[in-house]
Amino acid sequence: MHKPERLIVDGKRLDGRKPDELRPIRIEVDFLKRADGSCYLEMGKNRVVAAVYGPREAHPRHIQDPTKAVVRYRYNMAPFSVEERKRPGPDRRSVEISKVSKEAFEAVIMKELFPRSVIDIFVEVLQADAGSRTACINAASVALVDAGIPIKGILTSVAVAKVDGTLVLDPMKEEDNFGEADMPFAFLIRGGKIESIALLQMDGRMTKEEIKEAMKLAKKGAMEIYQLQREAIMKRFLEEEEND
Amino acid sequence: MRRIVLPGDFLSNNPKIAGYGTYVEGDKVYAKILGLFEETENSIRVIPLKGKYVPSVGDTVIGIVREVSANGWTLDINSPYQAFLPAMENPETKPGKKISDVLDMGDAVIAKVVNIDPRMKVTVTMKDKICRAIRFGRIVAINPARVPRVIGKKGSMIKLIKSELDVQMIVGQNGLIWLNGDRKKISIAEEVIYLIEEEAHTEGLTDRVAEFIKGRKNAQA
Amino acid sequence: MTEDILSEVKKDYVLSKLREGERIDGRKFDEFRKVEIKTGLIEKAEGSALVKLGNTQVVVGVKMQPGEPFPDTPDKGVIIVNAELVPLASPTFEPGPPDENSVELARVVDRGIRESEAVDLSKLCIEEGKKVWIIFVDIHALDDDGNLLDASAIASICALLDAKVPASRFGVGEDFKLPINDIPVSVTSLIIGEKFLIDPSRDEMSVGDKTITISVGRNDEVVAIQKSGDYLLNESLFEEVLEKSIVAGRKIREEILRQCSKTC
Repeated sequence: MHKPERLIVDGKRLDGRKPDELRPIRIEVDFLKRADGSCYLEMGKNRVVAAVYGPREAHPRHIQDPTKAVVRYRYNMAPFSVEERKRPGPDRRSVEISKVSKEAFEAVIMKELFPRSVIDIFVEVLQADAGSRTACINAASVALVDAGIPIKGILTSVAVAKVDGTLVLDPMKEEDNFGEADMPFAFLIRGGKIESIALLQMDGRMTKEEIKEAMKLAKKGAMEIYQLQREAIMKRFLEEEEND
Repeated sequence: MRRIVLPGDFLSNNPKIAGYGTYVEGDKVYAKILGLFEETENSIRVIPLKGKYVPSVGDTVIGIVREVSANGWTLDINSPYQAFLPAMENPETKPGKKISDVLDMGDAVIAKVVNIDPRMKVTVTMKDKICRAIRFGRIVAINPARVPRVIGKKGSMIKLIKSELDVQMIVGQNGLIWLNGDRKKISIAEEVIYLIEEEAHTEGLTDRVAEFIKGRKNAQA
Repeated sequence: MTEDILSEVKKDYVLSKLREGERIDGRKFDEFRKVEIKTGLIEKAEGSALVKLGNTQVVVGVKMQPGEPFPDTPDKGVIIVNAELVPLASPTFEPGPPDENSVELARVVDRGIRESEAVDLSKLCIEEGKKVWIIFVDIHALDDDGNLLDASAIASICALLDAKVPASRFGVGEDFKLPINDIPVSVTSLIIGEKFLIDPSRDEMSVGDKTITISVGRNDEVVAIQKSGDYLLNESLFEEVLEKSIVAGRKIREEILRQCSKTC
């Protein structure tokens, strides 16, 4: 990939979006039969599937916690999900993404209701675009709701990038590769409002002021994604009703 | 149509009325699961649409023996937690009778939850008139979250099925249901149960079920 | 990682002091422990540093060799950061392949160095598209008395400051000092409710492993952030952490410059 001369022309991004606009998102709830909860999600060119199993008996036994459920999160990229075939199995990037995503979910799942059990969240990236970790969190969040697992609220994730000195919402590949900074967020949304930060990372170069601006932009994007997550779940269960 | 709520949805400012499927933080009540919002004068609750069975004392459950040990049986009760049935809690246990002759691997039983410790070690008993080893009839499995609808208000749905079809029926809170009686009638009952499971969150279910049974009975006759 | 009986006992002490507005070792909430840097300890390495942050000790060695560039940066050197949390450093570290904690540590240190463009990789090209310098930064934990991450980041940049490119050994010119553009400093805070402690010691970490790391480069610019641990962070607390971390980072940078200019 070559660096385009400019990433923002006349206030528009390479794919025609305004700086504060999300990529198209599509969400399908209850996508898999075997899983207790599942979701298929597209965010730009990201295509991801999330499955939740549990709470179920924890094996091997030594991983059990007598006071609460153990949460596991596995972010995995399919070998064909990127331009150049990716060697199967976890690399260091996947291990780190899995860790911070797991921690975000641990902060909202009511683990203490299920001592000694395990809740598994598996996300498979079938096609990766920029922001696959945010797409995966959005899908996993819907899958958790679909599995009927008690949680404090919905997690919604989106990134903000700095490109050509401008902050942009939900960066695409070029912006991610050639931008000056990338900042993924996940928020807990409760009572229809953004309440706190569940995941926060950043790499690049940003001033304190830019970071605060990025937070504002991310919150706006997250509220829009939240509405889509909500609609998708509602639609799934209202459909059932219409099938009478 | 009843309102579907999602985890984190704000439900009330009155923590005193917070019921099943809700949680309180500060002085606010929120939904903690996906479900149907139900409000009465002194309580609000969320009836789950999906989710695993979590045992609670007093529940009737149907389990299958997975392990036999010297002092009892370990049962799979379709839950993240197995249940232990102590030998002494089974009236069929007799001195000198081999424990695996009383109940063996793969046997199904109807039992009642008598104790749950803080680590979710579940103990069940068979010392109750509803309890028995299942040696005939059929076991039907449904989503445990839909069990309340199969039971109906004050057992109305069970009563309807039993009286219309003349079958024995015991509903485990864990989503397993035992049916016994005429083979054809059991099959109708099974279909009815799946119908209720599918449409658990819709209105006017009892009437539709009554109609469904009538239609099936006529077809068989 | 903190589940031994001693840390359980320490937890109450830390919390009761905290209620009185104090830290158990008397530091201010935004104060780092004493930093001691010793560079050039490993003669076989192209650069090295032993760093003590309070009682936490880390040694970092830098090795370099010519190798192939990445296809998308044919004229730039390559930097690879790796961390080993060896069992010698803590009773909770296990032998075996790197777990998620050591992977995260290495990647957060890597991000600080990479994103601040601390090493001028454009000066490490030997033959465009064919041969560039590959820099291996290996972090070796010796004693984990808390905040291994910031100690590792300090040791890494100090080892890089200490490093000479071994060009003559590989017959590609004369040795030269590794060109360094920036000194990124990682600042980790332990979050306890609505309070936070910069550079937590191991005893303080017994309260929980809810942290946030802010890496600061020149001009007070932030080059990396990593929230770590299963907790929810509110926005106003984050902004407060951000402010204090930038100030603390500035102080550590001065300390690195002061100690490294003496020995390097």
